[in-house]
Amino acid sequence: MRTEPRLVSLQRRLLLAMAGGFALLLLIISVLLWSYARTAANRINDLPLAGAALAMLERASIGPEGPTIDLPNSAMDILALNTRDRVQYRVFSPTMGEITGTGDLPLPDGMDLSDVPRFYDATYLGAPFRFVIQGRRMNTPSGRDWIVVQVGQTVETRRHDQMSFYLSGMTGLAALSVIGLVCVWIAIRTALAPLRQIAGELRRRDPADLADIPGSPPREIRGLFTAINGFIARLRQNRALTETFIADVAHQTRTSLSALQGHLALAADATDYPEMKARVDKAGRQAARTVRLSNQLLANAMVIHRSDRASLQPLSLCPLVRDTLADLLRDSRMRRIALSFEDEALAPEGDRIRGDALSIREALNNLVENAARHGPADNSILVALENTPGRVVLRVEDAGPGIAEADLARATERFTSLAAATRGSGLGLSIVQAVAEGHDAVLRLSRSRLGGLCAELSFPRLAALMAVLLCWGAGEVPAARAEALSLFSATDAAAMEPLIAAFEARNPGIEVAFTEFHTVDLYKRLRAAAPGTMPDVVISSAMDLQVDLVNRGLARRLALPATHRPPDWAQWRGELFGFTFEPAAVIYDTRFLGAHDLPSNHRDLAQFIRDNEARLTGRIGSYDLRSSGIGYLYATQDSLQGPQAQRLIEVLGRARVRTYCCTADMFAATARGELALAHNVIGSYAATLARGAPHVGLHFFDDYNLVMTRTAFVPRDARAPDLGARFVEFLLSPAGQEVIAAHTPLIPLAPERHPDLPIARRIAERPGAFLAIRLSPSLLTYLDRLKQRDFLRAWDASVLR
Amino acid sequence: MRMLVVEDNEDLAETIVDRLRAEGHSVDRESDGAEASALLRHASFDLVLLDVNLPGRSGYEVLRAMRARDDDTPVIILTARSQIDDRVIGLDAGADDYMIKPVDFRELSARCRVLARRRAGTATNVFTAGSLSFDRRGKRALIDGADAGLKAREIQLLEIMIDNLGRMLSKEEVADRLYTFDETPSLNAVEQLFTRLRRKLDGTPLVIKTARGLGYLAYVSDED
Repeated sequence: MRTEPRLVSLQRRLLLAMAGGFALLLLIISVLLWSYARTAANRINDLPLAGAALAMLERASIGPEGPTIDLPNSAMDILALNTRDRVQYRVFSPTMGEITGTGDLPLPDGMDLSDVPRFYDATYLGAPFRFVIQGRRMNTPSGRDWIVVQVGQTVETRRHDQMSFYLSGMTGLAALSVIGLVCVWIAIRTALAPLRQIAGELRRRDPADLADIPGSPPREIRGLFTAINGFIARLRQNRALTETFIADVAHQTRTSLSALQGHLALAADATDYPEMKARVDKAGRQAARTVRLSNQLLANAMVIHRSDRASLQPLSLCPLVRDTLADLLRDSRMRRIALSFEDEALAPEGDRIRGDALSIREALNNLVENAARHGPADNSILVALENTPGRVVLRVEDAGPGIAEADLARATERFTSLAAATRGSGLGLSIVQAVAEGHDAVLRLSRSRLGGLCAELSFPRLAALMAVLLCWGAGEVPAARAEALSLFSATDAAAMEPLIAAFEARNPGIEVAFTEFHTVDLYKRLRAAAPGTMPDVVISSAMDLQVDLVNRGLARRLALPATHRPPDWAQWRGELFGFTFEPAAVIYDTRFLGAHDLPSNHRDLAQFIRDNEARLTGRIGSYDLRSSGIGYLYATQDSLQGPQAQRLIEVLGRARVRTYCCTADMFAATARGELALAHNVIGSYAATLARGAPHVGLHFFDDYNLVMTRTAFVPRDARAPDLGARFVEFLLSPAGQEVIAAHTPLIPLAPERHPDLPIARRIAERPGAFLAIRLSPSLLTYLDRLKQRDFLRAWDASVLR
Repeated sequence: MRMLVVEDNEDLAETIVDRLRAEGHSVDRESDGAEASALLRHASFDLVLLDVNLPGRSGYEVLRAMRARDDDTPVIILTARSQIDDRVIGLDAGADDYMIKPVDFRELSARCRVLARRRAGTATNVFTAGSLSFDRRGKRALIDGADAGLKAREIQLLEIMIDNLGRMLSKEEVADRLYTFDETPSLNAVEQLFTRLRRKLDGTPLVIKTARGLGYLAYVSDED
C-alpha cells in the first residue's frame, strides 16, 4: 500500500514540472513574440513610406527659381494603400529652406543628411507618427546641396497589425501547450503502468522466493526488469554456492579438528614420555594441517567473494608475479628450491589483463606452495609468463612427482588431495580454479617437461589501445591531382594574371584556365550557355551586364567571411561582388592644357569646351557607346546626375568628338598629341599608363567622379563552384586586395587602406567627390531596350552629325 | 638477543615468548601499543615483533614513531590481515619483514635469526657466519682466518648482500647499489661478479642463491 501513493506523486511531479516548463517557455516566447510582432508590423508598414519617399525624391530637381519637386502621383498612391492612416509630407533643403509640404514636421534627434532612408517615431499634433526622412544631393548653382524629403503616417494600422500578429501567435502557442500537457499526462500514466505491475509482483513475494519475475514488459522498462531478474538470479546462485561451501567447510573443519582433539586426548592419556611425544608430534602435524585448511578456506572464500563482486581492474601481471615470488622467497623453506622466472617471451604491454590482484596472488601462492610441498626439498620451480594469440599465460611447473594423468581431472575438485603422504588441505588447486573462473581464464593441468606438474592459467589479454599511428591528414589534404578552375573574364590579362598567379601559389593543386572576352561577348556567351559549359567564375567590368545576369538567377550565393565582405554598394544579393575601385577620370595633354585650365565640375565642363571650341574641335576623345560597355555605363550614370549631361553630349557633338573603343586607345592618342583631352577614361588604367607618359595628365572633378567596380560571380551551374567561391573570396581577401594594389593596374576596393598608391593620394584629396555606382537593379533601367534605344538615338543625333 | 614482543592476545603472546625464551633469547612483552611505544623510547632491543591490531596505538603507528626517531631496530610485523595494502603499508612504514598469522614458529625463528644477523653485522662491523668473517670497516673478508682474496667490487657486493640478508634483490637493484652515479652499470658484469663471489665463498655457510629471472638472495645455511 505504501508504494501506490509514491507512484501517483511521481506522476504529479512530472506533470507539474512540465507545466512549469511550458509556462516558462510561453512567457519567454510571449515577450519575444511581442517584439517580433512590432518589428514585423513596422517593416511591413515602412515599405510604402520608403517607396513614397523615393518616388518623390526622384522628381526633385533644381529649377530656374531654385530647388523644386514635381510631386508624382505614385507617391501618394503608394501611401494610400494603407487605407487607415493619415499622411504628412515635407520637402525641404537645409540651406535653401522649405520647398513644399508641412513645414513643421518633427525631425529626428541627431539628424545628419543622408541618401539612405531613416525611419523614426515622433509625435505630431498629439498623434504618434512614423516618419521616414531621406535626402538627395543635387547640383545647384552654388554647388551641391541636399534636398530632403520627409514622409509620415499615423501608426494605427501598425498597432493593429502588431496586436493581431501577437494574439494569433500566442493563441496558437497556448493551444499547443495545453495539448502538449495532456499528451504528457497520458504518456506518463502509460509509461509507469509496468512499474506498478513489477512493484505489485515484488511486494507479494516471499523473501525466500528467488524465482524470476514473470512477464514481458515494454522495451524501456525491460532494462530495469532484466536487471532485477539478473540480480535475483545472482542472489540465487550466490546462496547456492554459499550453502554448499558452508556444508563443505563444516565437514572439513570438524573432521580436522576432531582428529586433532583425538591425538591430544591420546597424548594426555599416554603413560610414557615417548608415546606422549609421538602423539603430540602427530597432534602438531594435524594442527598444522588444520591451520593450513583454515587459511585455504579463508582464501577460497575471499576469492569467491571477490570474483562475485566482479571488480576486475586492468593490471600488469609481470610486476605482480615478481612481487609475489619475491615475497615467497623470504620463506626459509624455499631456500633450497631453485625458483626461476621467465618473461622474455612477453610482448610489450603483453601482460595486461583485467584482473583482481589479490586473487591472482592467492592463486600463484597456492601453485608455488603446492609445488614446494609435494616435491623434494631441492625442487626446481619454473614460473613463466608468455603470450599466445589474444591471451596471457601464467605457467608454474616443477620437477616434483606431478599428478598422474588419470587424476588430473579430479585435482581441482574441492577437498580432494591426491597424494596421501603429502596431503594438503585439498583446496589449493580448487582455489586456483575458482580464480580462473572469476577471471574468465582457463586452468590447464598437465605434465611438465621438468617431470612434475605443469599448471597453466590462461587469461584473456587486455586489448591494448594501440595508438593508431595515423597522420591525420598532416595539415592540408594533399591534392594528388590538379583541380581545374575555369575563369571567364572581360578584364584583360595584364590585370588578371598577377591575381591568378597569386591564387595558384596559395592553392597548390588548383589550375586556373583563363579565357578573355569583350564585355558584350561575355554577356551574350553566358546568356546562351548550355548547362555544363558554365565557367566557375565570371569577371567583368560591365556592372550593368553583370547585374542583369545575376538578376536572371544565373549566380550562386556565396558566404564570405566578415573580413572579406565588400561595402554595401559593391555587392548585390550576396551573389555579385565588386572587387575594385575604378573612378572615371579626364586625361589631357599637359603640353596643350594646364591643370588650372580644366573645369572643376561637370557643369563647367560643357562651358569649358564651348569656350575653347576653336582649339579643342576634333581633339576631344570619348567612348563609342555602342562598342564600349564602360562608356555606356558612365554616360548613362552621368545622365542620372542631372541635365548637364545632356548638354555635354550636345557640346561634344559640336566639337566633333572622336570616339574610341577603349581607354587604352584614348590614352595612346592623347600621348601622341592627337587628343587634347579625353573624357570618362578608366582612371586606374590611365594612372598606370601615365607612368610611362609624363606629359599626359589625370584630372578629377570636385563635384563628383563616377566610380565603377569590376565584379565577379560564381554561376549556379558551375562545374567546380567551391573553387570558384574560393577564387572570389581570394579577390576580396586582404591578401588579394594587396595583390591588386601592388601588382595590377587596378585599384583595390578601399584605396584609403593602400596609401602608398599614388592614385590613392589623389582620391584622398577629394573626400566625398567619388560617387560609387551602386550594384543594384536600378542599373537595369538603362538596359531596357527602349531606354537604351532612346539614349543612343539622342547620342547619335548629337555626336554623329 | 634482546627481543620485544608486542601482542595483545594472551595465548599467542605466551606461546611466542616461551618459544623465544626456550631458544635462549631474553624477551620482554607488551600488550598495548602506547605502552610499547613508550618503552621503545627508553630501552633498546635487538628485535621487535609487532602485532598490527593493538589497543592504544596501532602497530603501524608504533613503527612509524620508531623510524621517525631514527630508531632502526629490526621489526617484524605480525598481521592477520592479508590485503595487499597491509603489506605495502607495513613495509613503507619501515618494517623489515612481515608474517601472516597463524605463524609457523620455525619460520618465525628463522626470520628472527636472519634479522639478527643483519643487525649484528652493522652494529659491530664484523659479520660472522661459520668460517666466514667479514670486516666492514677494513673491507676485508676472511675464511677460516685467511684472507679470502676478494677484489674491491666483490667486497662491495658481499657487503650489499649481507646488508640485505634474507631479502631478494633484483639484478637492477644490485647494480643500483653497486655502481655510483656516473658509472654505467652492466648487468652482465653483475652476473659475472656473483659467479666469482659465489665461487670464493664456496664452503662457507653464506649462500648466495640465484633465482633466475628474479634476483639474488643471501642466507646463512647452518640453521636449516
